[in-house]
Amino acid sequence: MTSTRDLVQDERDQFAFHDDIVYLAQTKRGLTRDTVEEISRFKNEPDWMLQYRLRAYEHFLKRKMPTWGGRLADIDLDKIVYYRKPSEREEKSWDDVPEKIKATFEKLGIPEAERKFLAGVGAQYDSEVVYHSVREELSKIGVVFMGTDQALKEYPEIFRTYFGTVVPAEDNKFAALNAAVWSGGSFVYVPKGVEVPLPLQAYFRINGENTGQFERTLIVVDEGAKVHYIEGCTAPIYATDSLHAAVVEVVALAGSKVRYTTIQNWSNDVYNLVTKRAHAYANSTVEWVDANTGSRLTMKYPAIYLRGEGATAEVISVAVAGRGQHQDTGAKAVHLAPNTTSRIVSKSVSKDGGRATYRGQLKVAPGATGVTASVRCDALMLDDQSRSDTYPYIDINEDDTTMTHEATVGKVSAEQVFYLMSRGLTENEATNLIVQGFLEVFTKELPMEYAIEFNRLVKLEMEGSLG
Amino acid sequence: MTEIVEPSPVDAPPVKAPRRLRADLPFVFADRVLVETLVAERREPAWLLEDRLAALALFEALPVESSQLYTPYVDLRAASLDGAAPYVVTGAAAASSSSGLPEGVAGLLEIDEDVVSVAALSDEARAAGVRLLTLGELVATDERLARELLAGGALIPVDEKLAELSRAAWSQGVLVHVPAGVRVEQPIVVRWAVGAPRSVIGRTLIVLGDGAEASVVEELVTSGGVISGAQAMLCATTEIRLGAHARLAMASLQETGPDQVVFQQRRADIGEAADLRWALAQLGARLVRSRVDNVLAGDRSTVEQVEIVFGSSDQLHDLTSYTRHVGRDTTGQLMSKGVLMDRARTYMKGLIQIEKTAIGTDSYLGEFGMNLSKAARAVAIPSLEIDQPDCRRAAHSSSVGPIDETQLFYLESRGIAPDDARKFIVLGFLEPVVARVPLEEAQDRLREALEAKWDAGLAGTGAATAA
Repeated sequence: MTSTRDLVQDERDQFAFHDDIVYLAQTKRGLTRDTVEEISRFKNEPDWMLQYRLRAYEHFLKRKMPTWGGRLADIDLDKIVYYRKPSEREEKSWDDVPEKIKATFEKLGIPEAERKFLAGVGAQYDSEVVYHSVREELSKIGVVFMGTDQALKEYPEIFRTYFGTVVPAEDNKFAALNAAVWSGGSFVYVPKGVEVPLPLQAYFRINGENTGQFERTLIVVDEGAKVHYIEGCTAPIYATDSLHAAVVEVVALAGSKVRYTTIQNWSNDVYNLVTKRAHAYANSTVEWVDANTGSRLTMKYPAIYLRGEGATAEVISVAVAGRGQHQDTGAKAVHLAPNTTSRIVSKSVSKDGGRATYRGQLKVAPGATGVTASVRCDALMLDDQSRSDTYPYIDINEDDTTMTHEATVGKVSAEQVFYLMSRGLTENEATNLIVQGFLEVFTKELPMEYAIEFNRLVKLEMEGSLG
Repeated sequence: MTEIVEPSPVDAPPVKAPRRLRADLPFVFADRVLVETLVAERREPAWLLEDRLAALALFEALPVESSQLYTPYVDLRAASLDGAAPYVVTGAAAASSSSGLPEGVAGLLEIDEDVVSVAALSDEARAAGVRLLTLGELVATDERLARELLAGGALIPVDEKLAELSRAAWSQGVLVHVPAGVRVEQPIVVRWAVGAPRSVIGRTLIVLGDGAEASVVEELVTSGGVISGAQAMLCATTEIRLGAHARLAMASLQETGPDQVVFQQRRADIGEAADLRWALAQLGARLVRSRVDNVLAGDRSTVEQVEIVFGSSDQLHDLTSYTRHVGRDTTGQLMSKGVLMDRARTYMKGLIQIEKTAIGTDSYLGEFGMNLSKAARAVAIPSLEIDQPDCRRAAHSSSVGPIDETQLFYLESRGIAPDDARKFIVLGFLEPVVARVPLEEAQDRLREALEAKWDAGLAGTGAATAA
């Protein structure tokens, strides 16, 4: 048993590291109006963006901390470095990336993944995109995949048309914080009718103690276009708390199809407070495929506003909460147009005193006739130290809505484990197999490589607990 | 003999209604002066003053909605009770004979505004030691028992503002006491007739000793004092304590008038292997805020709670249900059903809590809505908080939909006219509660009331046919 655990620890260590990077530009700890101005100046931004940031900053100050969800009292907003720039300019070619940063990425396996089949890579190292490449054929068909900062300069019109329209700066306290100090993130634009054949991928990483990461992602998919975007992340382990407050905005124009896949594996000291929202126009399809295994506290409820007739929303959300973790996750579907459809599936596992919470909202606004919606939440508790909660909010304002919601909570049954053990599996292996089976609704939606990686991650989590 | 005391209301001068927000209480009379007046005028003992003042302090400190889960749904703006002065001295009586007792009923206590119009109990029940009396009478005649039951407010949810109001400012109350081992075959009826532009603040205590069995039908109806357009308030608790192996069937039919505001707080502590069955029907009032707390404290205790709402015009029914599983092998079966016409709003909020000690819990919560009008709104929040995974079942489900077209088709194919077919489907949807009312006469009355409400809705706006 001990040897298994050591092996597990070794594997985890690959992803838990901290390189001493010389930061070329960083703001002082804490957040003031000056910090916001400084960030904007560093980035040489147009004035409208500075004004936007300042407005958001003012709102952030006014807004109270949420009192629901997880425990936020331990976040010390004055200790955080809000902006840190690891290298001066964006790199076009892998060879030009500084060795130190490259070494970090080697450990994460990014170039390998890219060489194999991934269409494009934009990797975030702390607060700036330092590396990104888009396959030539994608550029040729007009697909834009670059750092959000760069896009502000290169595609100002698309940028300004959509930025902040899906998640307004005033949406919530952490969206306001992001709007004030955002840096990095991905920008994707897929032109009319273009189908991106392979997933676009970005790795995000936090490095540096007390570094907040406030990336901002904007994905605009034009009429009839199709794209799959994947983000995954690892972070070094530190004793003090890190804050990650990202905003992701997705605009799915008429007839388009967007899938956004996340594998969130922040280290267990990170507060992951993320606002993810999509606007789905007529006959478009938006899918959030969202897994949360890391972080100390995650509060994330990927949302889809069904704004156009015939739009479809799908959210598959899985969460694994281990020792000291609280996964407060879920989904939101807001039906604003007729004949729209949504399906939410949530699976959570809690163990070793972890807490998994499903919090979801399903709203059918007046005028949204002919809506079909379903919500399914299943929770698995592996021991009696853990906790599982379900808080669905269902608000129906139309008379011909068809809505169903189901939730169950259970444990791994002794019969199942016994059966598998009788077939030669150890107890660990049996439990692990049952948990993997429970989460399969998620894994089967992933590209194969990710599915393998995710299963391995779950296995590590499981073995870590039992070893 | 029934002793009838003439009322001596202390009329407050008319107060100009201040501007209020959603969660502001719609009255200002609840203060120390009121409590002291109650105690002085009613010549109550010092301990009761003390208890009332303790409750007043809690009332003043607590928010209107104590649960973070439900805060956004508080809306008290339909209520304006500045003109509804509370009663102070009310009738006191103990049922000491069977005169005036309707057939098929073991006991009847009828409260009409501030007087007691009937207090009767069968000879058989009286001989067995069953007591049916007002709380005023109890305080006057059996102070020891009164103090035991009332002091400390043990059966009042500690975080419920309006329950503490009842404890602080009650002017009328009822005790149903069934001693250990006594089985009362026929139901005991407690009727409250309200609706004069006054505030009736009351408490109902139902205490069953070990192994006792009883059924209680509570009827909330309109009195002769109704003045159309003038609002009235009923703020009342139901406090239930079931000893080991006790069994209680508790029905409540709320059919008050369109200007009635109803605040109901009910709590039941259920002892070892005891069984509680609620059948709750909400038809009347302009605004209802109801909360039920079931505490399954004893091992193998069970609760079944079935609640229906039939809302029309501008009615708002805000219903919360908490079920706490504490003992081992407890069972909770909870189901809420709502039918909404016109601009009615119904909130069905439920929380199942399975505590660490509650091994072997079986708990189910279902919330189902039938929206028959485009302007109606149904909110369902069936929540779970689970600290103990070793349960037989922990699940909830919820659905909101229109009348099932296939059912309609089936009935029409059998030669039933469309309007009748709709009516049958709606009444059938609500029938589970009707069938659980433990008094045939009350069942028939409830069926008639539901049917009349349906017919009125059909004749009125025609909203029902829009389905």
